[in-house]
Amino acid sequence: MNKMEPVLRVRDVWKSYGDLEVLKGISFDVMESEVKVVFGPSGSGKSTLLRCINYLDPPDRGDVFLRGVRLGEKDTDINEMRARIGMVFQHFNLFAHLRAIDNVAIGPEKVLGLSKEDARQRAMAALEHVKMADWADHYPAQLSGGQQQRVGIARALAMEPDVILFDEPTSALDPELIGEVLQVMLDLAKEGTTMVVVTHEMGFARAVANEMIFIDGGVVVERGTPEHFFRGADSERVRQFLHKLEELYGKEREELRDVDGE
Amino acid sequence: MSVWSQGSPVVALGLEKLGDWADELLAGLAMTLYLYFVALTIGFLLGVGLALGRQYGGPVLSRIVTGYIEVVRGTPLLAQIFLIYVFPYSLNAWLTPDGPPFFMDIRWAIEIGGIRVLSHPILSSILALGLNSAAYQAEYIRGAIASIGEGQMLAARALGLSQMEGIRHVILPQAFRRMIPSWSNEASYLPKYTVVATFITVEDFFGMAKRAIAATFLSLETWLIVAAVYLVLITVISRVLERVYQKTKIPGL
Ligand SMILES: Nc1ncnc2c1ncn2[C@@H]1O[C@H](COP(=O)(O)OP(=O)(O)O)[C@@H](O)[C@H]1O
Ligand SMILES: [Mg+2]
Repeated sequence: MNKMEPVLRVRDVWKSYGDLEVLKGISFDVMESEVKVVFGPSGSGKSTLLRCINYLDPPDRGDVFLRGVRLGEKDTDINEMRARIGMVFQHFNLFAHLRAIDNVAIGPEKVLGLSKEDARQRAMAALEHVKMADWADHYPAQLSGGQQQRVGIARALAMEPDVILFDEPTSALDPELIGEVLQVMLDLAKEGTTMVVVTHEMGFARAVANEMIFIDGGVVVERGTPEHFFRGADSERVRQFLHKLEELYGKEREELRDVDGE
Repeated sequence: MSVWSQGSPVVALGLEKLGDWADELLAGLAMTLYLYFVALTIGFLLGVGLALGRQYGGPVLSRIVTGYIEVVRGTPLLAQIFLIYVFPYSLNAWLTPDGPPFFMDIRWAIEIGGIRVLSHPILSSILALGLNSAAYQAEYIRGAIASIGEGQMLAARALGLSQMEGIRHVILPQAFRRMIPSWSNEASYLPKYTVVATFITVEDFFGMAKRAIAATFLSLETWLIVAAVYLVLITVISRVLERVYQKTKIPGL
């Protein structure tokens, strides 16, 4: 496979809900083993962008290519394409009636057509990857948020996708559970997993992002390496946003310290 | 001492006369249970279809389904059963106004081991009760489907499951569990509603009781027995469903 061909190519994507224009022409490429961090204010369209990328919510205009094949083309099976694009949700969205192992095995079995036995084996390997093998027989409601999210990541991994999309994977977690999920994501990034990550965890971005994209008002306001952003962004809006993030997270850390101190 | 012998309370109350009707009453009860289970099953299968049509069917289909449910729930069951029952008669009268030969034979019957299992009145009862129950069951099933978070289907589609596969593997297994408490209302009311079959000559429990009363004049006693039997039946059904609900509960939820 041509290493220089982007895994994912997002070209001028537009999306409106009624009169509300959420995305106004977003473009970027994601190369093999690249980690792209997308960030921006709440309501700026980050989740919508991810849903447009795998056509859960097809764009009004613009194109998405997965290894050169356009999604939404008449003769491409959208379910087959989605199977190659992993997705990890803010609220985990594990299947509530299935044990962890079955949450992970259902995709390989029902979508990829593996035998029950092979699907379970692959699911077990994926659970081991996120250090959840000991919890394989637990139901989602019996797991902590951090554990659920790791199963959510395993569910995406078991499909052996070309790219995984993460939608604020740690923002619904209690602060003390964020670390275990970020650690798994850091490991994946270092192993060369191709990832698009919507997150405000700047530590993660600094450690593994190849490029960061700041989105506001449905357009890309600024993009660059982590060093570029942390040295001082060009746009005043981005600088303000990063400053606010720092305050917010700084405060959170203090609160944590207060709790520990008691 | 048997309950039918001299001096037993049964005889003291004059109930021994009803004893002659025990076989008929039991046959009636069997017919009632038969109507109940068949109608409940038809109602369930059709109800699932209606609920899915209403929830996922797009604007046209979901409107048709909604219309069906509204009409069925808004008209008396007795009117519905009469409508189905007289329909072939009316059709005959209309198509062959000068009398026989009739367009449709109405006096057919299917017997298994001497027991009449299907005839025009029995089929009409099953259809009326099943079609009626489907409308109510559809609403319970749809309520359960609607209570399942959007994220479940989103995650299913993101994995590459089609909408039908998502419904089958993710939505319905959860909806079936959730609907048991409200659905058990319908399951336990339906035995009572089967009495409408009596009005179109089906010899169900209620109908047999009426015949027993006509012969023995023990009306209060008979109705008390009838009421008690329905009460036991309904209690057993709701207990069983309660057990099923507890057994199928998702751990941790
Ligand atoms: N399905 C939808 N229908 C209508 N409006 C939507 C829908 N999804 C998102 N929106 C709106 O689009 C905007 C962007 O939402 P979202 O993509 O969730 O932002 P973010 O993830 O950046 O916080 C918000 O104003 C939101 O209310
Ligand atoms: Mg979002």
